[in-house]
Amino acid sequence: MSSRECQAIVEMRGIVKRFPGVVANDHVDLKICRGEVLAILGENGAGKTTLMNVLYGLYLPDEGEIYVKGRRVSHRSPRDAIENGIGMVHQHFTLVDDLTVAENVVLGAEKFRVFYDLEKLAREIDEFMRTIGLYVDPLKKAHELSAGEKQKVEILKALYRKVEVLILDEPTSVLSPIEVRELFKTVRNLKSTGISVVFISHKLDEVMEIADRIVVMRGGKVVGELARHEATKQLLATLMIGSRAVNIEEKFGKRVRPAGKLLEVVDLWVKGDRGEDSLKAVNLVVRKGEIVGIAGVAGSGQRELAEAIYGLRPAWRGRILLEGKDITRAHTVERIKMGVSLIPEDRLRYGVAAELPVYENIYLEKVHLEGRKSLLDRVGLRVLDKRGMVDYAKKVVEKFSVKTPSVFTNAGKLSGGNIQRLIVGRELERKPLLVIADEPTAGLDIAATNFVRKTIVEMSEAGAGVLLISSDLQEVLELSDKVVILCNGEVMGVFRPGELSMEEIGLLMSCAKRMSKEEVERAWGT
Amino acid sequence: MGYVIRIRPKPVKPLAVVLAPVASFALAFIVGGLLMVWAGVDPVSGYTAFVQGSLTTFPGFMQTLVQATLFMLMATGIAISNRAGVLNVGAEGQYIVGAILATYVAVELQQTLHPALVVVLAMLLAAIGGALWALIPGVLRGYMNVNEVVTTVILNWLAYRVLQWIIRGPLRLPGPQLYPMSPPITATLPVLEPSSGLNAGLIVAVALAVFSYLMLFNTEIGFKIRVTGSNPDLARYAGFGVERVVVLSMSYSGALAGIAGGVEVLGNLHYLFEGISIGLGYTSIIVSLVARDHPLGVIAASIMFGTIYSGSSFLQTATHLTYTFSKALEGLIYLFVLVTTLFAFYEIKLVKVS
Ligand SMILES: Nc1ncnc2c1ncn2[C@@H]1O[C@H](COP(=O)(O)OP(=O)(O)O)[C@@H](O)[C@H]1O
Ligand SMILES: [Mg+2]
Repeated sequence: MSSRECQAIVEMRGIVKRFPGVVANDHVDLKICRGEVLAILGENGAGKTTLMNVLYGLYLPDEGEIYVKGRRVSHRSPRDAIENGIGMVHQHFTLVDDLTVAENVVLGAEKFRVFYDLEKLAREIDEFMRTIGLYVDPLKKAHELSAGEKQKVEILKALYRKVEVLILDEPTSVLSPIEVRELFKTVRNLKSTGISVVFISHKLDEVMEIADRIVVMRGGKVVGELARHEATKQLLATLMIGSRAVNIEEKFGKRVRPAGKLLEVVDLWVKGDRGEDSLKAVNLVVRKGEIVGIAGVAGSGQRELAEAIYGLRPAWRGRILLEGKDITRAHTVERIKMGVSLIPEDRLRYGVAAELPVYENIYLEKVHLEGRKSLLDRVGLRVLDKRGMVDYAKKVVEKFSVKTPSVFTNAGKLSGGNIQRLIVGRELERKPLLVIADEPTAGLDIAATNFVRKTIVEMSEAGAGVLLISSDLQEVLELSDKVVILCNGEVMGVFRPGELSMEEIGLLMSCAKRMSKEEVERAWGT
Repeated sequence: MGYVIRIRPKPVKPLAVVLAPVASFALAFIVGGLLMVWAGVDPVSGYTAFVQGSLTTFPGFMQTLVQATLFMLMATGIAISNRAGVLNVGAEGQYIVGAILATYVAVELQQTLHPALVVVLAMLLAAIGGALWALIPGVLRGYMNVNEVVTTVILNWLAYRVLQWIIRGPLRLPGPQLYPMSPPITATLPVLEPSSGLNAGLIVAVALAVFSYLMLFNTEIGFKIRVTGSNPDLARYAGFGVERVVVLSMSYSGALAGIAGGVEVLGNLHYLFEGISIGLGYTSIIVSLVARDHPLGVIAASIMFGTIYSGSSFLQTATHLTYTFSKALEGLIYLFVLVTTLFAFYEIKLVKVS
């Protein structure tokens, strides 16, 4: 769509939004045309969410003006924005768990409806969903829904309020590849009915696929605006990360041939938090110098697998062997001493000790790796080598570009992205034998993502084994020597990247297909 | 599903660390002064007595140090367990157990063994007794996740009952007495200053506070304690054996409270009676709060609290104010200090737990 045909439905002019210490939006101009898919592309922290929150009435801009259909507006709350035809689906869902889909869709839209007939409401909503072409069982409770379904309900909520502009903030981050396909179909559908969709993302492939027009943000500013046909991945990446441009197509170096078995998981059964079987009869081998990728829809047992191997979650059946030694019942300390490290998925929980300085947070498990010589050492009174700790921390901070005023700053003061770099640095700099990397790049910007990936590959080249768990299928396929697909806690298939088509992988991920025993064994054998 | 109040230290400016307690004192003194006026005492002469009884005169200051010794021991222990994320409300009980065991050892052995040896043995047993008394809630919390506040309070009550029984039974001084008490202890702690009875307990207390400081910030176990207190999930993930850290820090806390009990009977009283339990263990929780769980801060805060204690006691002798009034004033100051420091130093949040 060229600018000549653009019929502007929203115009934001000179938007400035400051937060303590940062200018999240720095004189941003943005136009949304009727019936287009506008992608806003940018690294984490570029200011995308803030800009859209301003439009949606969650923040008042410090400066700047907003026009909807040529009329100057001031959105003081989402209610104002919705009245002006603007809806938004956030990264975090806002559904009420105990209410049905139908109730969630109408909730807040209709005033004074305290009593209603649920059956009738469900029929109404059923009808509404059919006309839109986006369907979720209206009588299901919100907590029974998958992430993809929840997102559909959020979109339905907005559409029910008759919005003309629908903002989707990083909508694919919670979806499986199949669900992403569906979402894109929905977006195209909406576009055909004249609705404008603002699609926020930091993933180039997605933007290239779905957008008509692409606005690139960096450091709170708009740094580029391109029509789809003008854009190339290389160009977008350069715009997005500025001077630090790296070639994202860059292929990582050829790897050495994997050697002997490092990690062997045999018939592993593990319970989840609610006592359900999260892993069922899982078999797995990671060889030295090999990266084994684990892919699957979120919640297929990935986290439980990582925790079981690291010793945070007991196995109630089966065995875990490290270099032939049975570690099924070994304490986490033993595993750490044997060279296992874990980049945990849940960084809020296992991330850092907020009140402790960065250097102590980086040191963390290294406390186990020091020799115990004297009697004092043996009773836990070993005097810490502060100089050594600080120097080590400085090295990690430097190498993994953790942005912190100093290594003495409390870790709680760091931003989420920097906490993640700290964790990755802490777990990788220790020179582990086996790295369990659970979503190591989630939430990182391109430069950091590339760095982490490269480091992981280098570690495997140096002889470490890596178990790479990621919801980014592309990442798993690009980095792994072998890929294991989990669905519902079971291994559905094992293959080398490139051996299966995306369709076949999708079938495995959704439990629709399972590779035969022979096929799986053959994959392990190679 | 329920709610718990979570109290965590928040970063504050160095100046505020000193200013907040001082300001709360000033406030408490103003209110206390008004109370004195109301009770018919000239606040100026009242406070003159207060300061004379605690700071500006030599005997007054000695009295303050005697009192500070007990706070220092108990609050240091409480600070350490707080750092591990465990709240030891049981210092009072652990102190009682320490006092009982020290008295027992002294009374049993002082006729046969060298006094110095008796003192060492008695203090050792006081420490072990306090540690064991704290071990129970420590294990329950560490391994079974039973709330330590509830268990320590129950154990305080139990310790007090044992004390009541023991001075009427096994450790009773025969013959008619004003109140039930143990036989006198002759194997006592070395005296530093005779008129006040200030004794080597103070040296022990300062030494243990300094040791605790070094342990907390410079050794492996101290590191594990601080990580566990800040984020127990992280500690578990790092393979720290959270259960053991909890039990250990709780026992350490109990040992120090037990030593305080030993100092009270071997150093200050030289006998055991019910009156040793006047809630110093609870006050020590406030002391460690004011010190922001820092062992060196505990030394300063203990002297501050010793001042309040001996000052308000002296008020009563110097003016016609009653014992109750001086205790009320003391309590009032504690309350002000507690509230001010809580809000100035800590982040208080209602968090949902499931
Ligand atoms: N509520 C807030 N308070 C303080 N800073 C914020 C807030 N929201 C965003 N920021 C900061 O503003 C910048 C832009 O953030 P955001 O708009 O969320 O970026 P994006 O969505 O592109 O990842 C970041 O530096 C972020 O830390
Ligand atoms: Mg965002």
